[in-house]
Amino acid sequence: MSGDGHADEFEPRITAFVCNWCTYTGADLAGTSRLHMASNVRIIRVPCTGRIDPLFIVKAFERGADGVIVSGCHPADCHYTAGNYHARRRFALFRELAAFVGIDPGRMTFSWVSASEGAKWRDVVNDTVARVRALGPFDEYRRLVDLPDASGESYATIEGLLGRTAP
Amino acid sequence: MTEPHDLTTEAPEATTGAPGAAREAAPDRYPETGAPDETGDLHGVARHVLAKGEADVVIGWEEGRRGVRPAFVTTPDDVERLVFDTRCVHNLATYLNPRRRQVAALGRPAVVIKGCDAKAVAGLLREAQLSRDQVVLIGVRCGGVLEVAELDEPADLTPETVSPRCYRCDNREPHLVDYLVGDPQAEPPRPPKTVDERVAELEDAPVAERWHFWVEEFSRCVRCYACREVCPLCICERCVADKSVPQWIDAASHPRGNLSWNLTRALHLAGRCVECGECERACPSGLPLMLLNRKLAQAVRQRFDYVAGDDPEVPAPVGDYRLDDAEEFIR
Amino acid sequence: MARIGVFVCHCGENIGRTVDCAAVAETLAGHPGVAHAEDYKYMCSDPGQALIKRAIIDKRLTGVVVAACSPHMHEKTFRRAASQAGLNPFMCEMANIREHCSWIHEDRDAATAKAIDTARTIVEKVKHNEPLQTIHIPVTKRALVIGGGIAGIQAALDIADGGHEVVLVEKDPSIGGHMAQLSETFPTLDCSQCILTPRMVEAYQHPNIKLMTWSEVEAVDGYIGNFTVTVRKKARSVDADVCNGCGDCLAACPNRRTPSEFDAGLGTRSAIYVPFPQAVPNTPVIDRANCGRFKAIAKGIKKEVCGKCAEACLKGAIDFTQQDELVTEEVGAIVVATGYQLYSIGRAQPEGLTGYGEYGYGEIPDVIDGLQFERLASASGPTAGELRRPSDGKVPQTVVFVHCVGSRDPEKGMAYCSKICCMYNAKHAMLYRHKVHDGRAVLFYMDVRAAGKGYDEFTRRAVEEDGAEYLRGRVSRLYRDGDVIKVVGYDTLAHEPVEIDADMVVLATAIRPQPGIKQLAQTLSVSYDEHGFINEAHPKLRPVETNTAGVYVAGACQAPRDIPDSVAMASAAAAKVLGLFSVAELEREPAVAAVNETTCVGCLTCQRVCPYGAVEAKEIRDRDGNVVRTVASINPGVCQGCGTCQAVCMSKSIELATFTDAEMYSEIEALAFWP
Repeated sequence: MSGDGHADEFEPRITAFVCNWCTYTGADLAGTSRLHMASNVRIIRVPCTGRIDPLFIVKAFERGADGVIVSGCHPADCHYTAGNYHARRRFALFRELAAFVGIDPGRMTFSWVSASEGAKWRDVVNDTVARVRALGPFDEYRRLVDLPDASGESYATIEGLLGRTAP
Repeated sequence: MTEPHDLTTEAPEATTGAPGAAREAAPDRYPETGAPDETGDLHGVARHVLAKGEADVVIGWEEGRRGVRPAFVTTPDDVERLVFDTRCVHNLATYLNPRRRQVAALGRPAVVIKGCDAKAVAGLLREAQLSRDQVVLIGVRCGGVLEVAELDEPADLTPETVSPRCYRCDNREPHLVDYLVGDPQAEPPRPPKTVDERVAELEDAPVAERWHFWVEEFSRCVRCYACREVCPLCICERCVADKSVPQWIDAASHPRGNLSWNLTRALHLAGRCVECGECERACPSGLPLMLLNRKLAQAVRQRFDYVAGDDPEVPAPVGDYRLDDAEEFIR
Repeated sequence: MARIGVFVCHCGENIGRTVDCAAVAETLAGHPGVAHAEDYKYMCSDPGQALIKRAIIDKRLTGVVVAACSPHMHEKTFRRAASQAGLNPFMCEMANIREHCSWIHEDRDAATAKAIDTARTIVEKVKHNEPLQTIHIPVTKRALVIGGGIAGIQAALDIADGGHEVVLVEKDPSIGGHMAQLSETFPTLDCSQCILTPRMVEAYQHPNIKLMTWSEVEAVDGYIGNFTVTVRKKARSVDADVCNGCGDCLAACPNRRTPSEFDAGLGTRSAIYVPFPQAVPNTPVIDRANCGRFKAIAKGIKKEVCGKCAEACLKGAIDFTQQDELVTEEVGAIVVATGYQLYSIGRAQPEGLTGYGEYGYGEIPDVIDGLQFERLASASGPTAGELRRPSDGKVPQTVVFVHCVGSRDPEKGMAYCSKICCMYNAKHAMLYRHKVHDGRAVLFYMDVRAAGKGYDEFTRRAVEEDGAEYLRGRVSRLYRDGDVIKVVGYDTLAHEPVEIDADMVVLATAIRPQPGIKQLAQTLSVSYDEHGFINEAHPKLRPVETNTAGVYVAGACQAPRDIPDSVAMASAAAAKVLGLFSVAELEREPAVAAVNETTCVGCLTCQRVCPYGAVEAKEIRDRDGNVVRTVASINPGVCQGCGTCQAVCMSKSIELATFTDAEMYSEIEALAFWP
């Protein structure tokens, strides 16, 4: 899937929720600057990080994402003045709770990428892809939701869920 | 977890509300001062508010078949039914939640509240679910309650029997009251393992073990929503879990929806939860929901300098922000 | 059933080189709900747009997805095209397969797979899009200007000259602001009052300007085009309609010891006063705090005390019984031009500022601030323009000017540069030397900031022609030593301590916003920085707008500003107002949030998070008019569409059009079908 050319390397699926005014535009700038980056990220545009409900992230994982990026305007730069401040509180708590229930925080990237930071967006994408690749596929969650994991196996039993019986 | 936030914590000493918003002396209609003579004890106060027409119903506790149960006393002659002891675990503030219309039908309520229950009342006031003049609040001084309260007789609190959530309670004497009854209470005993210690234990475990622990716990969730129904601060008429277009949370009692539901429930209560423990008590499957609540309460305190208190004027931390909120997790 | 058309653009080679556009179209053609899919070299070209329009009509499309460049580039183009073919423009969306795909990836297979995902995601979104109508908002073509300094006067005149009514509210008894206090202005040294007073009179006489002095804005409701403003007209104790401004009352007043605000405390005035002879309007005000009659009333003395002004007034204009009056004004736009105050370093400090006790301001009479120097130098000032020091009236032979007192000092003052002090210090030095030819003017500076037309030449003239002595360094202490003030400082160029015996010291104290600015900003729902300066909507591109639509900012309430800057901002704000007033109705994108009143429980968390004050509590009543419950209600005229309310709504009772939950959900879902 990625352009890296390592045929059998795991290619993580990453969903990115980015705000329209800063990060989306920053990603546009990365494009106009022809900054090459990993192709694993799928962008969903929102008006503001303030719009992002933690359920978006939960749902993304539920639908097979191995990692999630949330990115918006730097503090004081929010197009809507304060949406990012609210998002910052919300995701600070979500991240701690998610980590507490065993969702590796490494699967989630939160970043401020401004409209002028095309290069930072590339780095955020590449670093997230590399980090999630190292963590491997989020098979635990896939077992949970009955999606087949990387090997095509499905685990609808509690034993399967807990990984106690070998698939 | 991420440095530099120290997550191994214990409840702070007697701080409620945001620090700095130090509570002034007693509230306006504070108890003993100025209260009529017959209001020295719970029965006296209950009789007084019913007889004087301050309230149509006193919601308190009475002896039940196994332990105590909520009581709705509507005549002064009946107030002797009311009891208060270590078995009174129920958070009666939940009856002030506008979702409980059947209780509203009884008329203007007076509610007997412990310190944690008073915080829930503050939450309802804060979120405009209740107005202060609609309700008479009879505060009871509380030195902690039992973890297992289904007993025929009140029992003394020992480290083994006390509910761990009561440890280092910062509101043994509620402030948000019209009347305050009972004697000053000592601090509850320290349980063998505090909630903070249980949280810390889990946090010390590798991420995969935490996942296994919670998946196993959540797999027992039958999605009866008792946790939601008993919660005084679950105020939504239509819960997000019941919304079907789009259906963010799968309705079936299946692990995928169970995880979404339990994460969402905890998050919706972040910064609002008063840690009364009712969700965990009501859960028929024995899910350790207080661990989630406690974890978020810790995070809220460390990050936003906020501890749920019974001052309704102190704004809740979610829906608020500070320019210098910690953002060590943001790149 | 959705009938979506998917149009994949090659963008010449820009997309086609890396993405197999034909394959994208082919794959999408098989996607549920897609009724038409094709690829084309340049979708944004006329033939490309014609292709889309034809397909909309021929295939009866219910939605269009253009997989091409960024929506920031061409969303408007394609929405217009869709609209021309009879499709609601909001049923057309773009999938970004250029900036976010072909330009950043090299592997053709990977890029094609990503392009397919992206297009599919947007197709799923469009399936849930709703046709939306542009919002039309009526506009009251009347403006409010808050502050009657030079910025407010300029803005009011420009708007009034544009043919629209203006309400100009000034808290003091006269308009004119700080500019009226200045002696001469840099860099031309023309007399400040000579250029200002004609403007004041023009504003007073302008048929389109309603002047409300001695008044303050109390409350503001509404939104762009439709504000309702409550103004408190403070009791003047003088009937303005009757008074002819003769001034007999001032002469009759027995209290003449009240420090004059206009003379920055260096002169005195009577209790009934006009701030300065050229005041506009020329109607006096009784300063009730300093009037013997009102002081007696405040003490509860029943007997009528004094009343000499009333006796002196032949017109019978004095009215001791006057009360504050609340006036309501309907306006469509508001310009905030409340100006500045000087950091009063000697006195008790608000907000944890520590002040500069070591400079002896307020204790040593001959240590004064810049505005006080202006009054000493002004022909209308307490010394009639003769430079005499306050303590003993002696002509000072050595004057030390200290730059940056409280500015550029994050430790004890403000971190920012107050911008105008370098210029006025140079001006002060020149004015002093023009009046006292053999005097010494010494200036302690950090560096001289003189960017502006004719500014650097001006400061150089101070040195080269008027002999101002610039010393680079700070002053550590000022103290009285007999008849002189010892100025202890350090020359950082010579690397040596210096001590100067001065007869007078002038401190260039920091510019701060007016007291009460934060409260006003909250009333207007505009944001302000940590110092209280009003925030502009964008530091570069929207310098005179605020975050609240319809509220504009001009002059030193936004940041330290000199006169030309303030006037330029004021005219810019006026241009914005006139632009707003040039249309019959405002058109707004319908990307606004709305509340589901059935499920809303009225916790009003949305109200707390809304940056625009767009959320209000709304009472739901039964047929008998009893309040059944309270819910949130969003004003579509004010909502800017950030969606923060939606994310905090626990019961999911808010939907932001164009980013609804169903749309977001379907996008996330769409990604679950990755190969």
